[in-house]
Amino acid sequence: MADDTELIKRAQAEDIDAFCTLAERYARRIHLLASHYCRNQQDAEDLSQEVWLKAYQALQSFRFDSSFYTWLRRITINAFLNHRRSGFFRRQGQTTAVELMPLDSETLSESSLASPENIYNKLLFESVVQALSELTPSQRLAFLLRHYEGMSYEEIANAMNCSTGTVKKGVWRAITKLRARLSTESESQEALTSLANEY
Amino acid sequence: MHNCREVKERLTELILEGRSDSELAAELNTCAECRAEFDGVNATLRTTTRVRETAIPADSYWPGYHARLRDKLSHVQVRRRKENTEASFAPLRLCVNFLLRPVPVPLAAALVVFALLGLLAFQSTRKPAAAQSVVVHVPVAVPVVQEKLVTRVVYRDRYLPSRTSKRTGADSRAENTFAKSQMPRPDDVPTLAGFKPAADVKLTIIKGGSPNER
Repeated sequence: MADDTELIKRAQAEDIDAFCTLAERYARRIHLLASHYCRNQQDAEDLSQEVWLKAYQALQSFRFDSSFYTWLRRITINAFLNHRRSGFFRRQGQTTAVELMPLDSETLSESSLASPENIYNKLLFESVVQALSELTPSQRLAFLLRHYEGMSYEEIANAMNCSTGTVKKGVWRAITKLRARLSTESESQEALTSLANEY
Repeated sequence: MHNCREVKERLTELILEGRSDSELAAELNTCAECRAEFDGVNATLRTTTRVRETAIPADSYWPGYHARLRDKLSHVQVRRRKENTEASFAPLRLCVNFLLRPVPVPLAAALVVFALLGLLAFQSTRKPAAAQSVVVHVPVAVPVVQEKLVTRVVYRDRYLPSRTSKRTGADSRAENTFAKSQMPRPDDVPTLAGFKPAADVKLTIIKGGSPNER
């Protein structure tokens, strides 16, 4: 299997196949961030694909100074923040955790996905996304980058062009919101489990 | 001294980074509030980590996702090539657009008036055509006079008596008679009338004559 460097060089020569191979390697990580950021699957797909389109257009500027994913993550952050500014999100009132796994016949045939535990996790995820949606986009993004990407506060502040204190505050507020939301959910955990079993 | 606020700030970082801190653990054991805070944050972040994978769609979702992405990339590539082609003609297009851009009617009318006024001013300041001296160059064929020195050889009787010699009267008369008979008549006087020099000069040198003859 070709390494990233070879694929990037081919993609810089406008080889779409090479770029799609790169996208297949990192698409899940980008989509994970987008799905936490956007609250519904369609927006998450549009945003994550926009990241890839921006990456493709900017690929000529990649100088191999960092890893490809570090460079891609910077593009992702900028794309997320720009979408925030442009009022990208279409269905802010909806939470779509269950949308992420359409319950069609094909999906239902996969017993592992349709298990009560899985459905319960989907509902929990919906609660997480709901809690994150109550934050500002910057706070939400700061939490995602800190918790899911493992970036330091300094790195996040540099990428988001804000102070370290702002990032720390955002992460703390995210945790507080999540804690309040999930503690409420845990109190009704039995109800959720029964709901999942019925589903 | 135990400071709950300071501990709460530190424990979040501790949990996020997954580190263990014996000093902080000792403080948590002494303060129930801080312990509850630690447990709550820890549970929250463990839950978000657990549901993290749930956010990723099933494997059946990705082929369609990548097909749609490939389609968009193809469009971007086509558009980029088109833009590159158009960019090469951009200066020409700019000029054409500048020339063909619509002009407001008042501005156009003003331009026409200014043009007419300028034309009239030019006509009034122009000098009459007759006053102008015109230099015309006409090629004239000038015959080239080639001078040629033409000499004509005149033979003279070497024994012709000299006019300066002293002779007797009878001899002189006889000689004069002879000389006159030898002298060319006026009709025979060589002239250059009708003489046409040949293109090639022919020089004939006759030697053996008088030593003084040149």
